Amino acid sequence: MDSSLHEVWQAAAGAPFVPTIAKGSQFSVAFVLLVVGFLLSGAFTLNRSVANLPILAVPASLALGHTGRAGVVYMFCGVGVYV
Amino acid sequence: MKTTAVLSALLSVLSLASAASSDKKSSSTSTTLPATFRPPQVFKNANLVHVVSVEKNYVKENINVVIENIDKAAHDEYFVPFTADQLSRLGGVEVKDRKDAAAGPFVAEAAQFDQESDIQYLRIRLPQPLASGAQQTLGISYYLLKAYVPLPAAIKQEEQQFLSYSFSAYCPSAYTTTKQKTEVKFPSTNFPDYTKLPGSGAVQEFPTKQGSKLIYGPFDEKPAGAIQPVSVRFEFNKPVNHVSRLERDIEVSHWGGNVAFEERYALYHRGANLSSLFNRVKWQQSQYYSPTSFALKEMKFPLRVGSEDPYYYDVIGNISTSRFRSNKREALLEIKPRYPIFGGWKFPFTIGWNSDAKNFLRRAAGGGFVLNVPFLEGPRQPEGVEYEQVEVRVILPEGAENVKYQTSIPTTSITSADVEIHKTFLDTIGRTALIIKARNLVDDLRDRELIVSYDLPLMARLRKPLIVFGSSMALLVGALVMGKLEFKFDSRK
Repeated sequence: MDSSLHEVWQAAAGAPFVPTIAKGSQFSVAFVLLVVGFLLSGAFTLNRSVANLPILAVPASLALGHTGRAGVVYMFCGVGVYV
Repeated sequence: MKTTAVLSALLSVLSLASAASSDKKSSSTSTTLPATFRPPQVFKNANLVHVVSVEKNYVKENINVVIENIDKAAHDEYFVPFTADQLSRLGGVEVKDRKDAAAGPFVAEAAQFDQESDIQYLRIRLPQPLASGAQQTLGISYYLLKAYVPLPAAIKQEEQQFLSYSFSAYCPSAYTTTKQKTEVKFPSTNFPDYTKLPGSGAVQEFPTKQGSKLIYGPFDEKPAGAIQPVSVRFEFNKPVNHVSRLERDIEVSHWGGNVAFEERYALYHRGANLSSLFNRVKWQQSQYYSPTSFALKEMKFPLRVGSEDPYYYDVIGNISTSRFRSNKREALLEIKPRYPIFGGWKFPFTIGWNSDAKNFLRRAAGGGFVLNVPFLEGPRQPEGVEYEQVEVRVILPEGAENVKYQTSIPTTSITSADVEIHKTFLDTIGRTALIIKARNLVDDLRDRELIVSYDLPLMARLRKPLIVFGSSMALLVGALVMGKLEFKFDSRK
């Protein structure tokens, strides 16, 4: 038990936590990212080559997963499973 | 729900589970004394007023006592005796200085000396040792759960319910009490039976009746440990709600900007049983001509403003008899059980809701995050609700570390606090969960706050997208490599 936390809470009054993508737009952002991700993955699977790795596979994975464009993560949140 | 399930099933393939050990820190609130322990007779109760309130379905007792140090040395430990049975049902102990509010709540802890002994002690530590001959006014308040016995034990469904409660007319004390009285507050003026005692001084007979109160005393000097058992029987035509176990989950999501609440109740009615089978037609009729009944038919949960997406279900599935009123000023969840709950009946159910993270979560000044949520948010019922076992789980994001907490729930009620790992969707190492177990709480302690602070390093924050990125890259590179492999036999040239 830490008795100083009340002051920490009061001191942080001006900094409420706001997520990068607001709740209302999580589904649409995620949907677009997933479509882009799956299309790029599809394009890559049709034309598999080492040259296409950075052009298609990396952006596809980024759209599916990576920071700021976290399709899968936002789709979880978008459908109400707040991970 | 279905979309969620399919998605989660698909994506759980991507998530890798690995075990991680949890660092445990348990706190205990009892201390051990030698088996022959008797509280030293260093104090005297100069004046004592014992208020026993049976207005709700738990007993609230207040002991306001002027204590005087009769020893030559200064002392700071004051003991209050309880029976072992009472101690197991005792909760929400708070001790204050009645004349000096700034002195804050004093430390009160169960001091066990012999598990077999019927008398156990609660030890109160005064902030300053009380000097010889000095006096201090203590206000000791606590709750006793499972306190009543319905009398008669079985009644018809349209009859009035009566409860009985037994206690001591002399306030149990480890010290000599010079002057004392015991007041009993009832929910109504209908209390047909109570133990009568021979009076003293000008009063012929105790207790004296004052509206909805009974007063035993004032009594003259009583030695330490003096007991005078009495019992009262009173009308209580309201449900006797008892939650034997409440599991409350608070799940924080940084990605979703959400705090999700879920509460699982094991509700039980401790009142009078039905003497004949439940009659639905009679019940329906009585709803029109005498709607008050000792059955539980509705519960109201005033949630925090901004709560949304409520749900309410039990083992069978969704229960549609609920209403959610949400606007700028209130968020009131009104639920009706599947059936009216009479004495001896159970109703386990689950409710849950979401709220924006900004209502509960802030960024702390020195990095890290601080979360402030109510420890308990049960129904607000006029007859009260008592909770025997409460388990609050604060599920923090994956990788949260340096977890600290503070709560305004009385420390005697908290039995343990551990940091564990909770695994759910899209987790790799599992989420940090602060699990606080408490016992013997009542709805008076509703909305007491629980503040949790934690740190979340950048890598922990990015763990989820990085895992998905890594998995999909592995899949695509794997597909590339598989495509390049030659499986056919080389044709001989």
